[in-house]
Amino acid sequence: MNLSGIVVAVFPGKVDACVERLNALPGVEVHNVDHEKNRIVVVQEAKMIADEVEGLKAIKALPDVTFAEMVYHYFAEDEQFIEAIPEDLDAMTGLPQQQVCVPEYLQD
Amino acid sequence: MKQTRREFLKANVAAATAATVGIPLTQVQAAAGAEAEKDWQWDKGVCRFCGTGCGIMVATKDGKIMATKGDPDAPVNRGLNCIKGYFNAKIMYGKDRLTQPLLRMTNGKFDKKGKFQPVSWERAFDEMEKHAKSALKELGPHGVAIFGSGQYTVHEGYASAKFMKAGLRSNNIDPNARHCMASAVAAFIQTFGIDEPAGNYDDIEYTDTAVLWGANMTEMHPILWARIADRRLAHDKMRIVNLTTLKNMPSELADMTIVFKPSTDLAIQNYIAREIVTRDVVDHDYVKKHCVFATGPYDIGYGMRGTSKYANPAEKDTQAKELKVKLDKYEAIGQRRKEGEVVEQKNRGKAGKHWMISFEDFKKGVEPYTLDYVAELAKGDVDEPIEEFKKKLKQLADYYCDKNRKIVSYWTMGFNQHQRGTWVNEQCYMNHLLMGKQCKPGNGAFSLTGQPSACGTAREVGTFAHRLPADLVVFKKKHRDFSEKIWKLPENTLNPKVGSHIVKIMRDLEDGKIKFAWVQVNNPFQATANANHWIKAAREMDNFIVCSDGYPGISAKVADLILPAAMILEKWGAYGNAERRTQVWRQQVAPPGEAMGDTWQVLEFSKRFKLKEVWGEQKVPGLKAKGFEDGKLPSVLEAAKKMGYDPEQTLYEVLFATPENKKKYPWPADKSVTKGHANHIAEKLGDGWFPEHALFEEYASFGRGHAHDLDKFERYYDDDVRGLRWPVVNGKETLWRFNAKYDPYVKNGDFEYYGKALKALPSGDLDKITNKEKTKLTGKAKIFFRPYAAPVEQPDKNYPFWLVTGRVLEHWHSGTMTRRVPELNRAVPAALVAMNPEDAKRFGLQDNDLVEVASRRGKIRARVETRGRNHPAKGVIYVPWFDEGVFINKVTLDATCPISKETDYKKCAVKVTKV
Repeated sequence: MNLSGIVVAVFPGKVDACVERLNALPGVEVHNVDHEKNRIVVVQEAKMIADEVEGLKAIKALPDVTFAEMVYHYFAEDEQFIEAIPEDLDAMTGLPQQQVCVPEYLQD
Repeated sequence: MKQTRREFLKANVAAATAATVGIPLTQVQAAAGAEAEKDWQWDKGVCRFCGTGCGIMVATKDGKIMATKGDPDAPVNRGLNCIKGYFNAKIMYGKDRLTQPLLRMTNGKFDKKGKFQPVSWERAFDEMEKHAKSALKELGPHGVAIFGSGQYTVHEGYASAKFMKAGLRSNNIDPNARHCMASAVAAFIQTFGIDEPAGNYDDIEYTDTAVLWGANMTEMHPILWARIADRRLAHDKMRIVNLTTLKNMPSELADMTIVFKPSTDLAIQNYIAREIVTRDVVDHDYVKKHCVFATGPYDIGYGMRGTSKYANPAEKDTQAKELKVKLDKYEAIGQRRKEGEVVEQKNRGKAGKHWMISFEDFKKGVEPYTLDYVAELAKGDVDEPIEEFKKKLKQLADYYCDKNRKIVSYWTMGFNQHQRGTWVNEQCYMNHLLMGKQCKPGNGAFSLTGQPSACGTAREVGTFAHRLPADLVVFKKKHRDFSEKIWKLPENTLNPKVGSHIVKIMRDLEDGKIKFAWVQVNNPFQATANANHWIKAAREMDNFIVCSDGYPGISAKVADLILPAAMILEKWGAYGNAERRTQVWRQQVAPPGEAMGDTWQVLEFSKRFKLKEVWGEQKVPGLKAKGFEDGKLPSVLEAAKKMGYDPEQTLYEVLFATPENKKKYPWPADKSVTKGHANHIAEKLGDGWFPEHALFEEYASFGRGHAHDLDKFERYYDDDVRGLRWPVVNGKETLWRFNAKYDPYVKNGDFEYYGKALKALPSGDLDKITNKEKTKLTGKAKIFFRPYAAPVEQPDKNYPFWLVTGRVLEHWHSGTMTRRVPELNRAVPAALVAMNPEDAKRFGLQDNDLVEVASRRGKIRARVETRGRNHPAKGVIYVPWFDEGVFINKVTLDATCPISKETDYKKCAVKVTKV
């Protein structure tokens, strides 16, 4: 599970319309709406962080959105994050030097 | 109400996001927030990527990063972060992170043709020492070089520069920042006599107009763009103009987009100046009190090699123009010459020379830049009606000319990576100064930067081939004396000969003039234009290349030795952003494996050199400075002895771990600064001092009292400080420099351009010096007349397209870090060739077709895209440079601005063929 908090700024008068459009996007939930500042806080859940980046782009591409940026990223239970740490990373430390892997593409 | 774990976490994420940007929380959210984060330690940090300098907050628990968020208290970003910023903590955990030194070896011995094998640090330094000393012995101090960086922390840059300049007596250290803002620097020095912007980001909330000159802020500076977007909505008068060579993302919010032909920004700015003058809206009082007019030679070449010796046959026609150029129709008009006239480039060696002219001469200079002439020359979209284009140019001039309209001009690489980069920067100040719209809240020309510490380190610390800290330069005796005093060096230790700039370091490798080079915090073999030459030089010549990096990029691949470096949150650091804001962070987590901070690497290497090896007499080819007529640096060993040094002492003992530093800056340090955070560098050195603190304070002593004042090291670590904009005088930062209301260094009048460099000039007319006697310009800025000049290589029958290169939002520079984050990589997996749909049709190409892009210098293959985020006009293609697989710098031209030596990556001619 991968969670990010995104703030979305929209044109005045378009807040409610944008809330609807945002809620219609997969994995996106509107949590806070500030009519005064024309700001919406959404939480996006995605299995892969790749989907999440695509999701942010989809939000940016919505009509009446002036900008949308990520504010908060939760790591602790992010399986992708843990996967992204190479299995041999910890093992590299302290091992005899011969066993350390050298990326193959360095050698071409 | 019962919540699932997932709902609870989501509520927390929403709460943290809302709180960060100042949106009221619900009750449930407030409770969730407190519970989820109860064991975390939050600390402030700085984003590792662009020059904006956003604050981030990092949460750690048991030595691991738990979460990151935009820093709500950071005045730059106010809680926001762009995609890159969001991944600050992730970049450290890619699969191929370097964790051990790797040396090319065969049968246990170094072999340039061997395979990379892991070695110990000891073995790595042994090999470096051998090759560095052999290069020094054979070629003198300028036989070795460092490729430095605008991504160095302040401490790293300072340690490297001091090691090279004071230790090895070599000025061959030059940063990749040469590729990104050298033109901005040259223009600051020539115009104001001191580097770096007068204004700051607060200008956005005061201004009525933002003009982007070759700056795709939506993608490259998204957080500042968010502030501009906010201002556009909150302030009815606010207008945004996007000047660009291809329609791009800022155009979606901009009120007006002006698509112009490459290099014609020079003409457009002169058109604006002409309008200011002919409408007589010049702020005469401001100009008279605070400015003078100036110009310089036009025949300055294009920063290419002056010889065809190294050129491939296909390159020779472009290279020949370095020495002689035939003026085209437009250049002839803009330079008041005849079309077809062949101009020998006589001032290639003195490109920066300039002299004072009268206002009458200045007017004569801009006179040819009429609307008709400029519109015909500059219109970049062949399909746009000329009247439409003229209307836009006039509207743009109206914005600048309106005395009641505040205006800020922003630029990045569009201006800086330009064969006349220094000129075009100066022209921007020209229009702001003529109108008196400079150094005032909401009014000013503002140079944005691309790297996190291009300002803070590369420029302020002075990791350039000609610089010393705080705007001092190696070729001035007074500046060297001052530096030798602070560094406690014998007189004449410092080398007065300017070293090689970053492109020249590459050329010197090709020439065999440099035989040892160390790459630090950058990727020059991917980043330098016309790359085929340099890769061949590194791999085939007799030399030794060391590359320190977190991840292996092209530079690591072509190196002989790779050193694993600690990354951003694994070390203590300080950066300086584009608005002069110095910001710091603490080490949050330990580096993986045997990776070590760059500062440690330099300090450790400095232990390998004894004074007697480097401070004896040294030959420096080409050295001609006064007092060094024999072409040699004198031995300073006797003088050193008199100062109490022993020739057997190492550079580490003399330059870094001095008794004073050990006493004044102990490690472990005071808890009020460390807050319990570790320091892997101090701990590994193990001799009881705090290198980052010592280096910072010593560096700061250069600028204090000289208009570059930094506050004390500890102050930047205070909980309530989010960086301070220098000069910091009596604890107070400076918002608008040169303006008496804000800048304590202004002593006379309401504005004073107190910068000291190049402030005595001969005088003359538009073409030449007529009176050699120098006039002092104390306290004044210069308004330069600079003419239009055509790019040295232009599309023709054989190479019909302009090639423009640049970045994309998701990737940082050459992508060695961001490409490791699998998510970012997938968003833009491989660089695409952006092309106009009609061009594609004409060449029988469809989206996703594989094409070959070829220039006189090299070729690459990539896929075509006609409906992406960039929309080139007909005749232009755009290829970003982050992708190792699409090595576009094999294609680009290594022409530079002859004044700043910054490469123009935006203009060369290519052909595109379907594969």
